[in-house]
Amino acid sequence: MGSRASRLLREEEIEEIKKETGFSHSQITRLYSRFTSLDKGENGTLSREDFQRIPELAINPLGDRIINAFFPEGEDQVNFRGFMRTLAHFRPIEDNEKNKNPSATEPLNSRTNKLLFAFRLYDLDRDDKISRDELLQVLRMMVGVNISDEQLGSIADRTIQEADTNGDSCISFNEFIKASFVVNIHICTVVLVLVNI
Amino acid sequence: MAPLRRSSTLRLTGLLCLSFLVFFSRGFASHDVVSEKSSGTIQEDSHSQANSTAHKKTFPVLSFNYEHVRTPFEISLWILLALFMKLGFHIIPTVSHIVPESCLLIFVGLLVGGIIKATGEQPPVLDSNLFFLYLLPPIILDAGYFLPMRSFTENIGTILMFAVVGTLWNVFFIGGMMYAVCQIDAAELAHVDLLSCLLFGSIISAVDPVSVLAVFEEIHINELLHILVFGESLLNDAVTVVLYHLFKEFAHEQTITVTGAILGVISFFVVSLGGVMVGVIYGIVGAFTSRFTSYSRVIEPLFVFLYSYMAYLSAEIFHLSGIMSLIACGVIMRPYVEANISHKSYTTVKYFLKMWSSVSDTLIFIFLGVSTVAGPHTWNWIFVIFTVIFCLVSRVLGVIGLTAFINKFRIVKLTKKDQFIIAYGGLRGAIAFSLGFLLDNDEIKNLFLTAIITVIFFTVFVQGMTIRPLVELLAVKKKKESKESINEEIHTQFLDHLLTGIEDICGHYGHHHWKDKLNRFNKTYVKRWLIAGERSTEPQLISFYNKMELKQAMMMVESGSAAKLPTIVSTVSIRNVPTKGAPKPSRAISKSREEEIRRLLRANLQKTRQRLRSYSRYELLNDPLEDNISEARFRKQREMERRMSHYLTVPANRQETPPVRKVFFQPEHKVYTYDDSESPRGRASPSCADDVSELKETPEKPDQSSTPRANRDAELKPKEQDDQGDQLKVSRCLSDPGPNPEDDEDSTFLP
Repeated sequence: MGSRASRLLREEEIEEIKKETGFSHSQITRLYSRFTSLDKGENGTLSREDFQRIPELAINPLGDRIINAFFPEGEDQVNFRGFMRTLAHFRPIEDNEKNKNPSATEPLNSRTNKLLFAFRLYDLDRDDKISRDELLQVLRMMVGVNISDEQLGSIADRTIQEADTNGDSCISFNEFIKASFVVNIHICTVVLVLVNI
Repeated sequence: MAPLRRSSTLRLTGLLCLSFLVFFSRGFASHDVVSEKSSGTIQEDSHSQANSTAHKKTFPVLSFNYEHVRTPFEISLWILLALFMKLGFHIIPTVSHIVPESCLLIFVGLLVGGIIKATGEQPPVLDSNLFFLYLLPPIILDAGYFLPMRSFTENIGTILMFAVVGTLWNVFFIGGMMYAVCQIDAAELAHVDLLSCLLFGSIISAVDPVSVLAVFEEIHINELLHILVFGESLLNDAVTVVLYHLFKEFAHEQTITVTGAILGVISFFVVSLGGVMVGVIYGIVGAFTSRFTSYSRVIEPLFVFLYSYMAYLSAEIFHLSGIMSLIACGVIMRPYVEANISHKSYTTVKYFLKMWSSVSDTLIFIFLGVSTVAGPHTWNWIFVIFTVIFCLVSRVLGVIGLTAFINKFRIVKLTKKDQFIIAYGGLRGAIAFSLGFLLDNDEIKNLFLTAIITVIFFTVFVQGMTIRPLVELLAVKKKKESKESINEEIHTQFLDHLLTGIEDICGHYGHHHWKDKLNRFNKTYVKRWLIAGERSTEPQLISFYNKMELKQAMMMVESGSAAKLPTIVSTVSIRNVPTKGAPKPSRAISKSREEEIRRLLRANLQKTRQRLRSYSRYELLNDPLEDNISEARFRKQREMERRMSHYLTVPANRQETPPVRKVFFQPEHKVYTYDDSESPRGRASPSCADDVSELKETPEKPDQSSTPRANRDAELKPKEQDDQGDQLKVSRCLSDPGPNPEDDEDSTFLP
């Protein structure tokens, strides 16, 4: 704001985003100011470098994958709409979902969509299956460099062994949901709480 | 029929025990007479001896001197009574399904107290010193050490609100209302002033961890509610301590000053934070000590216990909150100590804590019953009834009010059902009684004690008994029997990273951000100081996985079956040793099929061995080599399995020599190694010793079949060298490493 030639968010846009994602007015404005502060190029979109400039994200093992999740297939820039759409996955689940129009599409922050988001972070090639190699990659990122490949391999094998019910040695989305059943609770509860400023 | 007979036998035994106890308590009374007599005779004897040797005194073949073993004897008897009761309730399950154990124990206490009183004795009262110094710490330590940290920290805000604000509300509401009640002329309680009422309120309003644990343990409620009520009962100790001392001082002075009130508030922070700090200091020192305990493994559990107990006592010295100190010590110490101590020590710690807390808790309830019979009572209908009513009312109001406020900040809101259970689970217990007992001796004390006991009885009996059917009725979520799975661990960590990343993108410094920072700090600085050896750099996922594999391996050992091949291969590869011959596990066969195949193979192989044996008995020994080997091997396997299952439950030997030799049963299985040095020397029978020595590469003891042994050794040698590395690894994980690990391994070991 002020001397910066940043685009102000128009009321109609705020309303649209509110309808689409369910964020409140103040949350949208707050996130917009965050968006503009990240947008060093001031062109209304974020690139991967803008994200990578966030220091804590650099040391996060899943940093790259999270960044990729913001960018739709094949694109290198994400505008504010896309930014909000991704973040909407992390809103708390609403209890009045049941009252909604059954023909309307599921809200972005439903339980299934949250799990789908997490699943897609594992499943890079989007074939709806987590293969052993994809699992190995994730494990490698989380565990660091000191552990040998064999150890990780056995952990990956064990993980797939536990979760795989149809014997294809990959984890499908349904198996993912069942295997992390207790974690289901966590993904529903451990969501981003944006304090209304 | 059989169970009935058993139960009637047990009732008989129970009655016999009770009667023994009664007779002994009678003996306590008459012991004075006896000891006097005995001392009289001794004096006489010495006198006569001194005087002249002419008096021939009879040498006392059998004398009775009860006096000098009296105290430990009585203590042991009480503990035995507690244990028999506990056993009895489990053998006769009918009653304990309806009535929680705590109620039954109080009832038994009432019975025993009644019997003792009926015989004219003064029943012992629950001495506050005994309670606070000896009976309470084990329970709190057990609870704190095994506190589920994740759910505790996730709900810490709610827990603190309930503990602090809720207790304060309870104190002032009950105190105030009771004062109002005392103003009623009909009650004849005009002598009870406001300060005394507030003091009473501060004693009675704290939720008691012992009772909560005892009752909630049996209803298996979901983890959230359990941690909320239990966490509240632990953390409200600080509030109770401060208010109790504060009002006691005020009641003494008979004035309330503003400075006093301000000092009270300051004192609250000092008490709680000071207690936590004392616990943290002891926890860190304990963790640091455990880094060096590899030199003497048997005393490891003692360090854990002593440091925690000292933390409690040190906090009590300064009137800080001992309970919070104990919890903080256990929580801080646990991750580092568990990474450092051996597996056997860990098991010892776990079982000793459970044992002590179980005995403590039983004793507390029994003594509560006995003290009820013993204590002088001043029964005032109005006071007691209104106390009970106001306790309930204030609890309900407090919970509802606080939940309405807390739910604004919670992600998972507390439903009405949850609120009801939290309110209903506010049980009072022995802490209230002991605090009341510490009051100065005057008429008000008896009045208060009677009311406290009534409230305790009401909460434990009525609420304790009805909470289970209510939980069923309201269909409250029960505890999920979650199997520990590697999937869960991976996904939990994955989600933690994900949410931390999202928080960073939003620029929001929330729960995850700080947790991540703490973890990073822990990993880079703290772990390096407090964890010995290579474990300090081990990622959490790896240690979790190792623990799981170890548990599975131990289960396999104890069930006497061969472990699954893929698991062992993975266990082997964990040790980071280049295993040249380790085959990749075949993915084609499922787990259960593999187990089937293994069972079939084993059964058939055994048959083969037996066939050989019977063959050798009736016919001339065609192949003496074969027979002896298979027979010896078979015997050895049985022996090793037997020793293995013993081995995992007996404490380690005092002297620990480095592992001498490895042994294996069947080369194709590559399952077990057995560390000779760990063989329980005391119980090795001569045949075992021979078996073991037979397999030594350099034989030290001669035995019958020297030629077959040499040949066999030659055949086994190349295989042995291959598996030497990994076999030792497996043995290492199942035994304690000696003080000087061999050079060709890294110093990794597992708790």
